Amino acid sequence: MSRNSLASLPRLVRPWCWLLLLLIGTSGALSAAELKVNEARIRLLPGELPAAGYFTLANTSEADITLIGANSPAFGNVTMHRTVNQDGVASMKPLAQLELAAGEQLEFAPGGHHLMLMKRTRALAIGDDIEVTLFFANEPEQRVMFRAVSPTTQ
Amino acid sequence: MPRWIIPVLVTLWLAGCGEQAWQTKDISDLMPPLAFELVDENGNEVTADRFLGKSTLLFFGFTHCPDVCPTTLARLDAATQRMDEAVRDDIRVLFVSVDPRRDDPETLRTYTDAFGPQFIGLTGDKTAIDELTRRYRVTYGYGEEDSNGNYDVSHSSAVFAFNDQGEARLLIRDSDPMDAVVADLERLVEDA
Repeated sequence: MSRNSLASLPRLVRPWCWLLLLLIGTSGALSAAELKVNEARIRLLPGELPAAGYFTLANTSEADITLIGANSPAFGNVTMHRTVNQDGVASMKPLAQLELAAGEQLEFAPGGHHLMLMKRTRALAIGDDIEVTLFFANEPEQRVMFRAVSPTTQ
Repeated sequence: MPRWIIPVLVTLWLAGCGEQAWQTKDISDLMPPLAFELVDENGNEVTADRFLGKSTLLFFGFTHCPDVCPTTLARLDAATQRMDEAVRDDIRVLFVSVDPRRDDPETLRTYTDAFGPQFIGLTGDKTAIDELTRRYRVTYGYGEEDSNGNYDVSHSSAVFAFNDQGEARLLIRDSDPMDAVVADLERLVEDA
């Protein structure tokens, strides 16, 4: 008798597991539809030199969002930067966060906003797909695959 | 005949027959000829004379520069890729690192090789770099070190172009349209 009730426990738990999985899957799909990342690429430089990550981020939701950072298992250190060109002198300024209004699109592009990716945790080659996670203030994080491209990619 | 037609015709005639203007910034009368004493990417001491005979593009930067420097070098690569091979072979790009602390000749060589054979890395001690940056009235500076020991280096973002005699001709910016850059560089080589 007691053996029977023990054996039936997992069967009771099983529907809840499916429901949980469904919820996780659905919420992921919703956020993916509302935040679109395109043209995600990492321009690799030789050796241990820092690489730059570029992408476009479209906020198709009805709420403003705030990008607060990124990380990647392939790099020990990922920061957001903005290139400033003042009187012909270029320098980089750290970016703590970036607001993106509802319906707006944001570009991380050469000569402007970029991810600076340092301290490779493994060897990387041009053509590799590299996982990067983008973090938001009030939204679930988003995992994106970035393509490793050559230094001469514009 | 409308009154405006004569000035318009004269302008068109002048534009058509006069010497064609450069499309990027003309610095022929503003900057001195190419001169420097630096160390090349093979560790050899070199002077500017060594690079005469080809058109030279001069750019100041540093290898730990993820965004601006590769973007400018990639643009120069794209511009030269659009030219005939013979023209492309007559252009050399000198990448002068203003960050000698991190950019030894070996790092520079690996870096410039990633862009192409026409890219050559140069650096030097502070005195040699200061002499060259002062000569072309550009500045550079070091930012604060972060916890990883990484620091930013501010540097001039424009490219100086010299003809095969080492005479200053053009200042090319990242904002210049690619067509303008290609046309001017082709002319720079053809004028030689």
